[in-house]
Amino acid sequence: MLSRGRVGRGFVIFITIVLIFFLLFPFFVTISTMLKPAREIYATPPYWIPKGLALYNFVNMWKFHPFAQYFTTSAIVAFSTTALTTLLCVPAAYALARFRFKGKKIFFFAFLAIQMFSPIVVIISLFKIMVFLQLLNTYFGLILANTVFALSFCTWMLSGYFKTIPLDIEEAALIDGCSRLQTIQRIMIPISAPGVATVLIYSFILAWNDLIFALAFTTSVNKTPVTLGIQNFVGRFYSQWDYLTCAAFLATIPVVVMFLFIERQLVTGIAGGAVKG
Amino acid sequence: MQEGGRDPPSYRPSCLQTREEVKLPARLKGNSLQASEAKLAYLFLMPATLFLCAFMFFPIFRVIQSSFYATDKLGGLSHFAGLENYVTLFKQSTFRMILFQSVYWTVLAVAIKTLFGLILASLLNVEYRGRRFARTLIVIPWASSAPISAILWIWVYHSEFGLLNHSLRALGITQNPPIWLGTPGLVFYSVIWVDIWLGIPFMTLVFLAGMQAVSVDLYEAANVEGANALQKYYHITVPGIRDVLLIATLLSTLWTFNDFNTIYVMTRGGPVNSTHIIITYLYMTTFERLRWGQGAVMAVITLIILSFCAWIYSRLYFRKGD
Repeated sequence: MLSRGRVGRGFVIFITIVLIFFLLFPFFVTISTMLKPAREIYATPPYWIPKGLALYNFVNMWKFHPFAQYFTTSAIVAFSTTALTTLLCVPAAYALARFRFKGKKIFFFAFLAIQMFSPIVVIISLFKIMVFLQLLNTYFGLILANTVFALSFCTWMLSGYFKTIPLDIEEAALIDGCSRLQTIQRIMIPISAPGVATVLIYSFILAWNDLIFALAFTTSVNKTPVTLGIQNFVGRFYSQWDYLTCAAFLATIPVVVMFLFIERQLVTGIAGGAVKG
Repeated sequence: MQEGGRDPPSYRPSCLQTREEVKLPARLKGNSLQASEAKLAYLFLMPATLFLCAFMFFPIFRVIQSSFYATDKLGGLSHFAGLENYVTLFKQSTFRMILFQSVYWTVLAVAIKTLFGLILASLLNVEYRGRRFARTLIVIPWASSAPISAILWIWVYHSEFGLLNHSLRALGITQNPPIWLGTPGLVFYSVIWVDIWLGIPFMTLVFLAGMQAVSVDLYEAANVEGANALQKYYHITVPGIRDVLLIATLLSTLWTFNDFNTIYVMTRGGPVNSTHIIITYLYMTTFERLRWGQGAVMAVITLIILSFCAWIYSRLYFRKGD
């Protein structure tokens, strides 16, 4: 709307830069803090540019806190959630995209509806199930819980992707004597690589960012993921912002990078028919 | 479809070209791949379905059931209590206040997210060099981990060492910046801002996708007719993104209503319940005060609200295509 003329464009760019600076403010603060030695962090008045570069914050954070443990837990839980989710959602998505059968609409609606539910709705009963199955304080408990919430969205998303692939490619394979499973394995999955990648990354990020299941289902330090472990730095009387910002930086970078790869897929997947125009 | 998106790939193994002259076996005729293969379909759907039944539908059933039962401290059901839990909960003035607060939280946050989203999307819809980079930067708050971002915001808001207040002073905006997380009345708005901040990128991207799907021809026709920028915006852009607007607002409503992370990490609902919404209150009631029955009631209320939204979403989603 404001695209007319050089002045208009300059104005647009200026406002955009201001707004971006505004949106990224917390990250600038984080980077400034993590590079400062402690005495500079707690200086009054505070300032942006560190005088001394304190990269040892990272080393100390790693040395004095069980962060290796936290990261390991996060990684184990996230990778396993990804594997389990993919294993469950690929066949389900394929069935929804390609087969005609009774009750398809119900399945569709169920998968769509479930992704709207928040973990909190079921957390009470899920907690009791975890107690019953003796899965509190286990990786497996966290993996199960995260998979439940990744699964429906991934199935939904992937079946949408499968649908965009023309039928005749598969038909040709079937005629040439491939079995249905071979078709999925050799044709559908390779062709749908972007869709499958989205599913992998989405479930990884979902599990990596989980706080609520970790909060409810774990108490021991060696089953604490980063998102929960990092909360311990903020105490009522004493907080260690130098270490916290370092940990936050390390824990955020991988998910941000991954997210940037799937963000377009997510937007089209979520907005569905409306964006297809 | 904008840039790349998910156009059907053109890749096709050369050995698998469909040949006109190949006679299709009877079972492959017509819409063969969608023919009656119900058995296989159920087989494929079974693992996911069983999994969801065990860890989603069964828990939902149990939580509805336990909302009608009296419970002990460990959450075990002791005896049927009818609507007792519901009545006790609705008698609490705290709960009624929090219910109202949840609505206020959701409406306010979604409205502001929508506004920011529209502004940013309109700005990004203008072509210039570096636009893609700008778009990427805007995604970052959404891409980063919500529980971690929330904790970083505590530090940003820090009254003594925080760089936000420092910047406000340095820019001469105010010499006495507020204590963001320590002033009753203000805390709620400080926390809701973080939720809004998390939600802006999604709104922006979806609106932008919607705007880019609007046909260029319409704008060209409008140019020929001599329409000005504002007229084009109201008569072409806004109607063009109506569906996207609806879906994005609806989803954002769901996510905002469900935003546990921000509140729990930043304030745990305090001071004096002033930042609680139903979701965080549910968690506290259940896992910290061990009132399982009342927690279940709140879960049921949440469930009803979410199901209603899911229903509307599915109506919107299926209206076009599919």
